[in-house]
Amino acid sequence: MRASLKGVPWLALLVLAAVLVCAALGEAILPHDPGDLDLGSAFLPPSWLEGGSLAMPLGADNLGRDILSRIMAGSRVSVIVAFYAILFSGGIGALAGMVAGYFGGRVDAALMRLIEIQQSIPSIALALILAAALEPGLSTVVIVIVLTYWAWYARIIRGEIMALKGRDYIAFARVAGVGTPTIFLRHLLPNIFNTLIVLATLQVGQVILFEASLSFLGLGIQQPDISWGLMLSDARQYITNAWWAITMPGIAIMLTCLSANVFGDWLRDRLDPHLRQL
Amino acid sequence: MLLSVRDLQTHLHLKRGILRAVDGVSLEVSEGETLGLVGESGSGKTLTGLSLLRLLPKGSGRIAGGSIALDGQELTTLSEVDLARDVRGRRIAMIMQDPMTSLNPVFSIGDQVGNPIRNHDIASGTQLRSAIVNVLTRVRIPSPAARLSDYPNQFSGGQRQRVVAAMAIGCSPRLLIADEPTTALDVTIQVQIISLLRQIQADTGAGIILITHDLGVAASLCHRVAVMYAGKIVETGPVRQIYRSPAHPYTRALLDAIPRLGTKRRRLAAIPGQPPSLIDPPAGCRFAPRCPLRMNKCIEPPPVTELAPGHTAACWTLA
Amino acid sequence: MGRFLLRRLGQGAVSILGASLIIFVISRLSGDPVALLVPADAPQSLIAEIRGRFGLDLPLWQQYLIFLGRALSGDFGNSYRWQMPALTLILDRLPATVELALCGLVFSVMIALPTGVLSAVHRGGWIDRIGRVFAMLGQAMPAFWVGLLLILVFAIRLNWLPAFGHGSAVHVILPAIALGWYPVAAQTRVVRSAMLDVLDSDHIRLARALGTPERLIVWKYALRNAAIPLLTMLGVYFAAMLGGAFVVETIFAWPGVGRTVVEAVFSRDFPVVQAGVLFTSILFVLSNLLVDLSYGLVDPRIRDAR
Repeated sequence: MRASLKGVPWLALLVLAAVLVCAALGEAILPHDPGDLDLGSAFLPPSWLEGGSLAMPLGADNLGRDILSRIMAGSRVSVIVAFYAILFSGGIGALAGMVAGYFGGRVDAALMRLIEIQQSIPSIALALILAAALEPGLSTVVIVIVLTYWAWYARIIRGEIMALKGRDYIAFARVAGVGTPTIFLRHLLPNIFNTLIVLATLQVGQVILFEASLSFLGLGIQQPDISWGLMLSDARQYITNAWWAITMPGIAIMLTCLSANVFGDWLRDRLDPHLRQL
Repeated sequence: MLLSVRDLQTHLHLKRGILRAVDGVSLEVSEGETLGLVGESGSGKTLTGLSLLRLLPKGSGRIAGGSIALDGQELTTLSEVDLARDVRGRRIAMIMQDPMTSLNPVFSIGDQVGNPIRNHDIASGTQLRSAIVNVLTRVRIPSPAARLSDYPNQFSGGQRQRVVAAMAIGCSPRLLIADEPTTALDVTIQVQIISLLRQIQADTGAGIILITHDLGVAASLCHRVAVMYAGKIVETGPVRQIYRSPAHPYTRALLDAIPRLGTKRRRLAAIPGQPPSLIDPPAGCRFAPRCPLRMNKCIEPPPVTELAPGHTAACWTLA
Repeated sequence: MGRFLLRRLGQGAVSILGASLIIFVISRLSGDPVALLVPADAPQSLIAEIRGRFGLDLPLWQQYLIFLGRALSGDFGNSYRWQMPALTLILDRLPATVELALCGLVFSVMIALPTGVLSAVHRGGWIDRIGRVFAMLGQAMPAFWVGLLLILVFAIRLNWLPAFGHGSAVHVILPAIALGWYPVAAQTRVVRSAMLDVLDSDHIRLARALGTPERLIVWKYALRNAAIPLLTMLGVYFAAMLGGAFVVETIFAWPGVGRTVVEAVFSRDFPVVQAGVLFTSILFVLSNLLVDLSYGLVDPRIRDAR
């Protein structure tokens, strides 16, 4: 990996860093309390329009809450969901892929069949019934995303493992009597690590969109917690009164997702370009 | 004179420099005559053919100098639109090397053969169909009327090359450029295609430029041959003369390299060395580094000597 | 070809069967549906009776087999909410969803095809660059937000198009755009890449050598070749539309299966949820299968291969 700084997507990294900072520091840096109702300021337009004020630069929603603060607060949910969802779906998916790719045979066939069956249900539909079966909330969203996306990792990792399996050093290790768990940990895992990192970063954007969709439908994050999707769902009711309430959280989603995609593409091109056909 | 090319220069503008692929080529083709353009890969023969139609790589290919005159009309000054409308497919047509990839797989052969005829307003409407059937008959495709809506994959390699020939002669061109038309075919089909080209010439009086690296194919079809090396023509002359008494050392080496039955020689007489890079070509004779008759004088560009009427070669040993 | 298709259909059927099990199990995972049917202070005897009537007191695997058996004969039970057969509810609304998905697909192809072609022909030009920027943006915008923005701009601000309902042709425009928005980026890439390949091919060079005007070369001879990868993938894109329909129908109050299922999920109306998701899955699997079929339909080389 050439250590050059050329072509680094600075803008994307900046946005991602901003999101992480907001998520980490939370209350400490918010201009207003995001849950603070102030009906006097209800439907306050953004600061650059007539009637707006710099105190609430992006305007206020129907209950007078500052939209900027709510957006900043909502970043926490996005980051947490993305982190756990990718960690677990990547972990489970990679493990399943490694086992299936390495052992082959019936284990592999069973896994592929399971993935095929799961993928015959559109992911939103699967997410819907899962989210309905479990109580709506953050953990539910994570579980839903994990169960929906693990198969994607599994398939790709399985492919990589099957390619690695034929390599000589694996055969030598087995002949030398090295145990399977050791082979997994010391020979296979380091080789697919790059791929895993790239896959994980490519997923961030999708996960953010998915969580937003679930929360929008009412199956994800619930009041009084804040999620960008939930903000949009609320704002839908008074869309005629306050266009900024519909636009601003959406822009937050778009910018974060876009930056994650750009960063993910760049990382993929640096670490593992053959994944480009995805 | 049907075609008169004078000092043609075609350059390829690459990142590493300007490749002078065709560097001062002059040749002539008369009506009803076949000129063979012979040389190894990289000699510039294909690019010479493409230059006549200005079919150069977009952006990097450019005609840097020289003149191309067809029936007295200068082609290098024509606009792209005029070239497409009046010359390509109409007065000069081309047959390419690989019949398996020369035809569009998702269009019927009726459409593809009719395309040039339609575009150049030779025929339209109901007359178009009979024109297409007519030209397919001329290239000896059996039951052409029934096969108009068939696709290329339903034809054999030899038949596909005939279809390509039909596309080329649909507008009765004055000059036909055949770029290695037999290379991708097996020997029995090669003979058929060569005889087809001969027939087309006899019927229409068209001139043919046959580009090939196969001296045998050149011998069977051409009246005259021009031997090309490293972007330059080294020898031109009637085919029999060239083969019987080659004047240029390169031509001689080419002919020697053909293995012959009955000789006692064990090893193939290959020509040692490599052709020079054409990005910064040497000033003098380009074959000199590999030439067994190399002299000190060869650092200067050799003059073109006429050895017999119509037979010329560029070599210091003949000056 | 026929045998291959039959095998794929069989695989699809097995997948659907497995899907039905997953759907059944998950929907049973949640709370007790009886609670929805009786008032909060109902006596135990009533609850037990209701349970018995709906077969909810049997072991889970038995419930599944009963469900499966009934499903195969077309009986998905009655909607808890509407007191009519769940199957009827779903089948009545399926055409609307298919209509929306098709329109979404048409919209995305209508944008992707010319954009891809022009991006390839003028490689590096402004269409290529702007197209890529829009593609990146498009993939970062959730479909429901696109829908909301469309309503905001075209229905509320400009009042050009209706935001809700289903009746005339104009009603489908905004939902179709919201639905078809996301795959445009991927489709454009496919077309552009295929076009670049084709423009480099021998037969295009020959067509140009024979004097074919450039617009014929691009829009007739090259396009048909370049469209093949896109056309063969249409089944996959249609399937993706089906997935997106759930959210888009909800926003635009489109009377399709998607919206019905979403509402049923909230009211814990299991029969409707099961029937809805199952039929969507069937359509989903069938459209993916269409991809294998379409290779033969679209490419004459494969059509004639024995």
